[in-house]
Amino acid sequence: MTVPTEHLLALAAILFAIGVAGFFTRRNLIVVLTSIELMLNAANLTFVAGARLHSANGGVQVDGPIFVIFVVAVAAVEAAVGLALVIALYRRKQTVSLDAIARMED
Amino acid sequence: MVNLLFYIAALVAVLTAVGVVLARNPVISVLSLLSCFASLAVIYLLAGFQFLAAIQILVYGGAIMVLFLFVVMLLNLGGLSQEDGEQDDPLFHDRRRSGGGLAIAVALGSASLIGILRGARHLAEPTNGFAMPEEGLDALPALAEAMFTRYSLPFEAASVLLLSAAVGVMVLAKRQRHDGLAPAPSGEDRP
Repeated sequence: MTVPTEHLLALAAILFAIGVAGFFTRRNLIVVLTSIELMLNAANLTFVAGARLHSANGGVQVDGPIFVIFVVAVAAVEAAVGLALVIALYRRKQTVSLDAIARMED
Repeated sequence: MVNLLFYIAALVAVLTAVGVVLARNPVISVLSLLSCFASLAVIYLLAGFQFLAAIQILVYGGAIMVLFLFVVMLLNLGGLSQEDGEQDDPLFHDRRRSGGGLAIAVALGSASLIGILRGARHLAEPTNGFAMPEEGLDALPALAEAMFTRYSLPFEAASVLLLSAAVGVMVLAKRQRHDGLAPAPSGEDRP
């Protein structure tokens, strides 16, 4: 594949912006969490683009793939904790809307 | 030919990402995210990262997305979004807040796009194209050696993070029964 690096980076930027839009506009907690996953994947794509560029310039560099693996681990942790919070919220309020937890008083 | 495949996968990734944000049904949202991850795995494969493509499918698609789907199905949220005040338009039911979010997203995206396209000529693109070794750019021996030597501390930190997350999830998902905080569960079968 001879696609220039900036196209990979541009795709990552577009995906990240879409994730930011979903994160700030949606009120459904599940969709907010999926938007976060989308942003993490955009970061992964940036790591991949950088690793590809540096590997092509001289010797294989594995720092990018290693960071991608760490990001995947962090994404798994975030999904598990976030979904446990969703379940706890649903048990108390019978909803997953962010509007229901805008106030923390009860 | 391979480049054309990349652009097709990129188009699919962007379209499914838009579907993630716009879908009213959370199930549709999670499934579009799954397709987005699949097309990203195709891109990783084309870029020469075979192991990362496998990780993307196995861990992201197989574990994390199934966890999402499991929670959506468990809580029976398939048709619930009309109760969230999002029935008219998932993005613009609250114009002030959504407009601010969209403005942030557009500003961030366009700023980074402009930066990338302006800075592209400073990227040291290889003159001989992206020549790729036979075993790909993330050969497992080199990856494992770096992971357990230079990156052993982050590796251990990730394991501690996973352990604490597992404990935290157990605490969060445990039914609070005797502290007087939880509402009386109505019509629930207690073991």
